[in-house]
Amino acid sequence: MIATIVHTDELLQTVAASVIAGIGVTFLFSLGIWGAGQFTELSRSERPVAATAAAVVGAVALLCVAAAVATGIIVMTHK
Amino acid sequence: MDSDVILVIVIATALAFDFTNGFHDTANVVATSISTGAARPQVAIGFAALLNFVGAFISISVAATVAKDVVDAEVITPTIVFAGLIGAIAWNLITWYFGLPSSSSHALIGGVVGSAVAAVGFDAVIAEGLVGKVLIPAVVAPVLAFLVAGAAIGISYRVVGRQRPGIVSRGYRYGQIVSGGLLALAHGTNDAQKTMGIITLALIASGELGADADPPFWLIASAATAIALGTYSGGWRIIKTTGTRIIKMDAAQGFSAQGAGAAVILASTHFGFPLSTTHVINGGIMGAGAGKRLSAVRWGVAGNIFVAWLLTLPAAATIGALTYGFTRIFGTGALGPILVTLMALSLVVAAFARRAQRGAPVTAAGG
Repeated sequence: MIATIVHTDELLQTVAASVIAGIGVTFLFSLGIWGAGQFTELSRSERPVAATAAAVVGAVALLCVAAAVATGIIVMTHK
Repeated sequence: MDSDVILVIVIATALAFDFTNGFHDTANVVATSISTGAARPQVAIGFAALLNFVGAFISISVAATVAKDVVDAEVITPTIVFAGLIGAIAWNLITWYFGLPSSSSHALIGGVVGSAVAAVGFDAVIAEGLVGKVLIPAVVAPVLAFLVAGAAIGISYRVVGRQRPGIVSRGYRYGQIVSGGLLALAHGTNDAQKTMGIITLALIASGELGADADPPFWLIASAATAIALGTYSGGWRIIKTTGTRIIKMDAAQGFSAQGAGAAVILASTHFGFPLSTTHVINGGIMGAGAGKRLSAVRWGVAGNIFVAWLLTLPAAATIGALTYGFTRIFGTGALGPILVTLMALSLVVAAFARRAQRGAPVTAAGG
């Protein structure tokens, strides 16, 4: 009875989706900023390999953010 | 003939409610982007209005909940829906006048439940839907936004903590264009659907739609337009007061708050939970503040939100019930709703005139 009223599954999925999207996207975006910052710093100190690696990490993180946002919107529109 | 007149009044009143919802909520949606300098006010407001419009088209789950899961559509009449709307509008007006941060969404649902109980009795209320899809998510969602934003800002500071402040601020400001846009999209989809749900309920009650029908396209487009116009109109007043009314936060906090708010609202909307977007957005902002420093949170505001949350459903329900009783004095025709509409319009004009004399309201009520 209580489980029927509370819609436990839907509520838990809402909590899980919110936590994964809210924290995950912020983490990935922060990683993107970290990559840009590290790239600038390492380029200045003439360490091109490390700078490129940081830039790649940052770029991949930002691509993951874009993919997460696109996935979220697609899921919303396909119920 | 009378039922057609009442239906037209209900649709016009619901769209007006949708417009005021957008008008009130502009501050919630764009404040964070403006306060961190991520976007100029004109750009942020125009962008928010556009994404509110788009957001209204991406889902109808919340509209279905409002139309079918809160009250029994088979015993509802357009006059009951009308009385519920008046209950919501009256409570919004009272809380706006006194500067209480109440929820338009809770007022709307409370008003309709109150008028339905007055007309038919408690049998008209679908308790499972009201508790499971409205009341419990109403408690969970703001707390969830608070926790997600708090955790997100903690992680952000750990990841970028040793970077130069310039690149970090610039990065999160660019990010806020996306997170602010998602928040506006989320606001549009959850709040516009409540109006769609209420009008759908009235259309089902009047026999214009079948019991299982979804909102027709003209209704989705009307609700989208009303909330977008409201958001755009509300913004111009907000521009003048933004600098003094918004908590100062850095761009990372703004990004985390908006991201958490958008994630919670979009996920809830997907499962058809009609939330108070105001409470969720404020929960996100407080979480981002608490994640940096607990004393940064305006706990008094949190207390006001809690009190308003407790009062809104019963207060709007009471006004909705009284409005229904008043309309029945004049029979079941259109005279009662017409008189109530004229009285409500007079009160709205009087309240705005008096408010204008006293100065701008302190806080925004919202969805």
